[in-house]
Amino acid sequence: MNVMRQTDDTTATAEIKIAAKGVQVYYGDNHAIKDVDVDIADRTVTAFIGPSGCGKSTFLRCLNRMNDTIDICRVEGKITLDGEDIYDKRVDPVQLRAKVGMVFQKPNPFPKSIYDNVAYGPRIHGLARSKAELDEIVEKSLRRAALWGEVKDRLNAPGTGLSGGQQQRLCIARAVATSPEVLLMDEPCSALDPIATAQVEELIDELRSRFAVVIVTHSMQQAARVSRKTAFFHLGNLVEFGETGQIFTNPRDPRTESYITGRIG
Amino acid sequence: MSIGLLLAIILGLAAVGYVFGIRRAKSASGGDTRSLHSLAGYHGQSVFLFVAVPALLLVGIWLLVQPIIIESRVSGLIVEADIPQGGSRDLVMSDVRRVAGGLNIIAGEGGLSEDEIANMGADLGDLRSRLGGVGVALASDIQPNVFEASKRYRQMTNTGQIMLSVSAIALALAGFVYSIARITADFRARNVSEGFVKLLFIACSCVAVLTTFGIVASLVVESLHFFRLYPVSDFLFSLTWNPQFRGGSDLGIWPLLWGTLYVSFVALLFAVPVGLMSAIYLSEYASKRVRSVVKPAIEILAGIPTIVYGLFALITVGPFLRDYFAQPFGLGSSSSSVLTAGLVMGIMLIPFVSSLSDDIINAVPQSMRDGSFGLGATHSETVRQVILPAALPGIVGAILLAASRAIGETMIVVMGAGAAAKLSLNPLEAMTTITVKIVSQLTGDTEFASPETLVAFALGLMLFIFTLGLNVIALYVVRKYREQYE
Repeated sequence: MNVMRQTDDTTATAEIKIAAKGVQVYYGDNHAIKDVDVDIADRTVTAFIGPSGCGKSTFLRCLNRMNDTIDICRVEGKITLDGEDIYDKRVDPVQLRAKVGMVFQKPNPFPKSIYDNVAYGPRIHGLARSKAELDEIVEKSLRRAALWGEVKDRLNAPGTGLSGGQQQRLCIARAVATSPEVLLMDEPCSALDPIATAQVEELIDELRSRFAVVIVTHSMQQAARVSRKTAFFHLGNLVEFGETGQIFTNPRDPRTESYITGRIG
Repeated sequence: MSIGLLLAIILGLAAVGYVFGIRRAKSASGGDTRSLHSLAGYHGQSVFLFVAVPALLLVGIWLLVQPIIIESRVSGLIVEADIPQGGSRDLVMSDVRRVAGGLNIIAGEGGLSEDEIANMGADLGDLRSRLGGVGVALASDIQPNVFEASKRYRQMTNTGQIMLSVSAIALALAGFVYSIARITADFRARNVSEGFVKLLFIACSCVAVLTTFGIVASLVVESLHFFRLYPVSDFLFSLTWNPQFRGGSDLGIWPLLWGTLYVSFVALLFAVPVGLMSAIYLSEYASKRVRSVVKPAIEILAGIPTIVYGLFALITVGPFLRDYFAQPFGLGSSSSSVLTAGLVMGIMLIPFVSSLSDDIINAVPQSMRDGSFGLGATHSETVRQVILPAALPGIVGAILLAASRAIGETMIVVMGAGAAAKLSLNPLEAMTTITVKIVSQLTGDTEFASPETLVAFALGLMLFIFTLGLNVIALYVVRKYREQYE
């Protein structure tokens, strides 16, 4: 925790992007998330930490309704994006996911060229009116994902041919290309080596200036390095949520302390 | 000694060898079986293999070679005069074999002693009725030379049998002694077993490969016979198919090839979209309950015999197309048509396409779908732009499998498309395919050596070359896309 960011007071007043109130998630009979309240601030990195199976990924997937694709999953409670209930019947989950982008644990580039991978979202949402505009979006997204320099000469090469770290940055570029308002990252570095991890973390730090970023991570060091707010989940409960510095140096709940000192997990 | 008994003796010896091998290995270990290089069972196995395998191989080869040798020797006893008008040497030789078999039965029942048989020859008329009594019916009286040949045949076969028994058992015993004697604690029986297993696998794969070569070779040989009687250029370039039983036929392959391609094309045009889309529904949209009912229901289609599809084409689809499409539009008045056969064949092919494509689509990793949904794509956008491209090599494979089924299909074409060889674009006209003509030419009344019959082999060869070419193209396509996508 050597590079832990000490929080300054201005961040506490950041605008709330996503507000979750009393969220319950059931997988069949299994009560996976129990009454969770979280406020995600705009232009801030929020980290979800906790032992395996504590529900942090499940909760993350509630934020862009990815759980809808699982038949047995049921979500209760209220989650609002800019004050609008995202589980309202009038909300189209497909449109919602364009606004709330997602990066997954394992890099999952499509079996297409690098260019087509990044252009996928803009194409299906009709974000570019011309080929030149699309080129521009692709370049901007790849630059933002710190990948442009490495791939600019081989945009037509398959995305699956890149290294693991490059693939993950390609997936980030792909998510960024649809200009989302929130970026959800589900353990984005767990399949990467330390160098690639450092690159992705640096990238997250830059993305913070434009999006609200929510990152699920198993690495407490990573949470400490990249996030300003941290939520600790345990057995489906949100145990503690607060400034990252406070969570790691002065946790209020004994369970949080046990986890970050390595006694449970 | 009969072959069955011989095999039993060899296997019995091998079994005894197995037990002895284990005992011998145990005693060689000096009481501590851990000191053996191989488990005692492997030692037993190595003895078993050395007893059984060489002896059985000998029996197998002997049984293949012996008839050829005896036949060529005995055949010399028969002179041209013994061969009846219009018959052939082969037919006389088959009489020889049957008489020899009959003599064996009579001798076995004790009706004649060996001496009596050896001295027989004069009262041939009586022999015919006696042979008839044991179930060997002959068309005419036995010629003296034929009878001599039969006796010779019988005698040589019996001698060969005894020689085989003696040498096979000797070989088994030699294997037994050799493999028992070499057992020591350090003997690597495990590796012997491994080597044998490897040989077994090689042999099995050779069976498949050699069979293919055999089929091709027989096709090529018979086709060469045909091309000696009928010019290759006419066969390949003539646009008429008109076999005459009196000779002077036109045997151009084009009308048949066109019919084959046309019917297969119609079938695939129907089967591929329907099969692929039902596969997409089943693997992407259907709930578990729907899937568990619909998937087996579609697969039932694959279990229906093609002759039943043929009936369906003949009595339902054909008349329907004729009454509602062909006659109103003035496109023909036949209930047999390319469209009939193509549609029904397409129905038959649906399960091939859908079942394979379904498996392939299911094999596309969930992370691809998540990635696409996570970017705000709808389900059908995901299917079209991510899943189908990722599954393409497998889907191409499924389509090609369906295509080769379509090209090789016979029954549905006979009953649905008719038997008239025609070059026409009208899908409501009767046409026919290569496979149908192979059947009708081979089962026709013309004699086997005429070009009208032998053309079947040339057609078969063309069909083989055609499907082979299709497979090669398929492999190429699949490999190309694999490189691009994985």
